[in-house]
Amino acid sequence: MSTRIVLVPGTLALLPEHASLNDPVAELRAACLAAVAWLGAPDQVLADPQGRRVADALVAEAGVTGRAPGVERAVLVVGNGSATRSEKAPGHLDERAEAFDEALGAALRRCDLRGLDLSLADELWARLGGIPALGDLLGPDAEVSVDHDAAPYGVQWWVMRWTCGS
Amino acid sequence: MTLRLRRHAFADDTTLMMAIVNRTPDSFYDRGATWAEDKAFERVASVVAQGAEIVDIGGIKAAPGAEIDATEEKARVVDFVARVREAYPALVISVDTWRAEVGDAVCAAGADVLNDAWGGADPELVDVAAQHDAAIVCTHTGGARPRTRPFRVEYDDVVRAAIDDTLAYAERALAAGVARESVVIDPAHDFGKNTRHSLELTRRLGEMVATGWPVLVSLSNKDFVGETLDLPVGERLVGTLAATSVCALAGARIYRVHEVVETRQTVDMVWTIAGRRPPARAIRGLA
Repeated sequence: MSTRIVLVPGTLALLPEHASLNDPVAELRAACLAAVAWLGAPDQVLADPQGRRVADALVAEAGVTGRAPGVERAVLVVGNGSATRSEKAPGHLDERAEAFDEALGAALRRCDLRGLDLSLADELWARLGGIPALGDLLGPDAEVSVDHDAAPYGVQWWVMRWTCGS
Repeated sequence: MTLRLRRHAFADDTTLMMAIVNRTPDSFYDRGATWAEDKAFERVASVVAQGAEIVDIGGIKAAPGAEIDATEEKARVVDFVARVREAYPALVISVDTWRAEVGDAVCAAGADVLNDAWGGADPELVDVAAQHDAAIVCTHTGGARPRTRPFRVEYDDVVRAAIDDTLAYAERALAAGVARESVVIDPAHDFGKNTRHSLELTRRLGEMVATGWPVLVSLSNKDFVGETLDLPVGERLVGTLAATSVCALAGARIYRVHEVVETRQTVDMVWTIAGRRPPARAIRGLA
């Protein structure tokens, strides 16, 4: 029996009330929905209140209701990197943002979030949400895959999947 | 209710651009620019490229002028309708005519809508629409005869009159056998009306929309815009679009226009403000 974990960003454009005629986050949405479909209905959501709404919307849109076969626990984490990656980013360009996101992305890939600089994250408008708590769930044996890694609007997004204890 | 213009159906939340295509040598706005058949055909190609869902083909200018009999009117529009039908199967073709004889011929040639700008002057037009399963536009003219200008016309309540007359016309259409989803009403700005009448109809258009019938408005470059702003034909686009905004907020569904692109943008903007259409692409503050 295993634990499945999925990380998605807290992008409000994913909410149905913000739908556009032409989806500005089509690739991200597709990646999120595929990952949530793989995850199954989450037993736990790690997110801030806004991120919780994004999680609920994705679960509803993916149409998942039950647990995937052989999965003991499913956790949906909502959080993202900096929002200061470009001149047009919500928080404007901060030269430190790219290095911060690279380090955080690498930490997520190797399942080790020790040493996360929460103060710098705040300065870079990184809405980490459930990411700090994610560290406690990930052991060194976790298998990780990165479905989406992009910052098209100056906000660093990841969609990632982990399987632990299989 | 879904709006059906013969073979074309449109959902309740859609707005439609009806582009004016004149096969006349003397219409007020284009002054014969599309009188030659090839020029009119180029105009159709242009407005289709601009996104118009409907073309409204007319063979007689609305204002008084040289008598055009049914034979001449048919010569101007019937073969042209057939040519447009052949070239643009997905396009809605409307013909601006009050004559049943002309309506019959254009429907046989492929027209989908009979746009009777003269308020049922020919009582048999509804029968023709029914026979061909075509849609009909029921306008209010206050009893004006075709191709006459208003002269000292007064109403107790112009909006009440427009609603009563267009709904009575709609009932006549239904009784003749026109499908309920294929009847459109039009207050007919400037027809049998002075400028204040048309302004009041614009201001109170929501009362016509509230009848539940889909409403068409024909505002484009008309005299009520020109008199309001003291501007000649050719300088009335901004005023037209302002009036268009008011009608769009009230919920008008079809816009009969000279300028397709500008009107489409205006209507899309207002429709979205009204919460009836999502933004094209909204990411500001939401990434």
